[in-house]
Amino acid sequence: MKYRYQEEMSPPPPQRVTDVAITRFEHVFEVEPGLMTDHVTQQTFPNWDTLRLVRSRADHLAWMHRHFADKVISGEELLHDLDE
Amino acid sequence: MPDPEKRFAEEWRNAAYNCFSSGHKFCREVCPVMQVTRNESWSPTAFHANVVAMEKGELEVADVAADYVNCTGCGACELRCPNSLFTGDFYRFRTRTVDLVKAVRGLAVSQGVHQPGWQRWNLLTDERRHEPVLNGTPVDQARVRDWADGLDLPIGGETILFVDCEAAFYRTSVPRSVARILNLAGYKFGLMNEQWCCGGPAAEMGYEEQARRFAQHNLDDWRAAGVRRVLVLDPHDYITFTEDYPKYFGDAYDIEIVLVVELLAELIREGRLTPHVPVERTVTYHDPCRLNKRKGVWREPREILRAIPGLTFHDVDRVTQWSYCSGGGGGLPVEKPELTAKISEHRVEKAAELGVDTLVSACPWSERPLSEAGRARSIDVVDLHELLAESLGVAP
Ligand code: SF4
Ligand code: SF4
Repeated sequence: MKYRYQEEMSPPPPQRVTDVAITRFEHVFEVEPGLMTDHVTQQTFPNWDTLRLVRSRADHLAWMHRHFADKVISGEELLHDLDE
Repeated sequence: MPDPEKRFAEEWRNAAYNCFSSGHKFCREVCPVMQVTRNESWSPTAFHANVVAMEKGELEVADVAADYVNCTGCGACELRCPNSLFTGDFYRFRTRTVDLVKAVRGLAVSQGVHQPGWQRWNLLTDERRHEPVLNGTPVDQARVRDWADGLDLPIGGETILFVDCEAAFYRTSVPRSVARILNLAGYKFGLMNEQWCCGGPAAEMGYEEQARRFAQHNLDDWRAAGVRRVLVLDPHDYITFTEDYPKYFGDAYDIEIVLVVELLAELIREGRLTPHVPVERTVTYHDPCRLNKRKGVWREPREILRAIPGLTFHDVDRVTQWSYCSGGGGGLPVEKPELTAKISEHRVEKAAELGVDTLVSACPWSERPLSEAGRARSIDVVDLHELLAESLGVAP
């Protein structure tokens, strides 16, 4: 990762997804910035920060699945267990 | 309430309420200080809650300034906080405990509330332009390039290598290894003309004016020497150059910052470096906080380790490593060396559980405390750059 201020501070142009959401990076959604000006203003995020959070989340979820879920149980099975 | 405190509370209130109202304390168990002290006043949650109390006029910064010493700036709490990890990118509003701690420390200093160790440290740094890393032995400009003796490196040029105070004066074999490796790969670089401390530690301890002054000096020096790219081997400098400097200089900051670990991984990938001397050690890797948690850099160091023949590498889950820290950051060892030592012992204990003989780090600041703790358990602490140099057959 090479850090260049200009690159980090120029996010890809937003594309509208819905009235309240936009996207700048693939599969990454953001609140429409216009909605975050009154009570809580958005922070200045360099691009790496957004991507770091997204990647860390994916890593964290994968870790959770590795540690806490070793099989998938359907709702039906659960109900069945309760009945017994 | 004094005006600066009022402005401070206004600036940080939303973030504070965001934490206070959710209050789930996921951050607590990953905080290295909490792990060894269980002191709730030193938890990330408390750091935010205090702001709420400040805003309500219940307390002043002088009442809590000493609590804010107890943070290494590792960033674990930020990453584990669901407000960052699960919604931070969505709202463009993430938990910034590290910035908050720095801001409270800055507020304290601006109000004349000092921590004795930090005050002395920054006074000496200001006098000598470098951190007093050698205790009694003064370090200064005249000795800042001593580590490079005999390496025949030019001064200035398009690309330079910035060497942090700890590595320049104390862990000199680290920058020497880096320089030898880059020479071997034919990668051209020079040294700074007049290199001052990056200013990051001053900023971390709350001495903001000093931090900015040092930053300005370094940027001016780069510009005067025609520098376009700065190579950085120390994760702390990397944070300073990619987070503090951009904040100080904004659009005017036109220097490219390159992390040496990433560059080395690239050179290995491209076949410009091929580690070939076997290193017979059983190792695990300590993710420096400022790389793994704060920058998301964790693949490249592992790439380098896997390229070294002879090594037996017991990796641990890097997500689990979010809760590991050497205790060496954020000025903690200056003010509370005994707490740093406890955190290091805790870290080395985890390495010992893996049955390794060596703990590899990639951060000069982590090595003093980790080595100290390692000695008690016969675990060597080795720097990643040095290990690579050994396998490339270039002695420091
Ligand atoms: S910092 Fe985050 S995880 Fe910790 S208590 Fe506050 S909101 Fe919860
Ligand atoms: S940055 Fe690290 S040491 Fe500081 S409060 Fe957060 S987890 Fe604790």
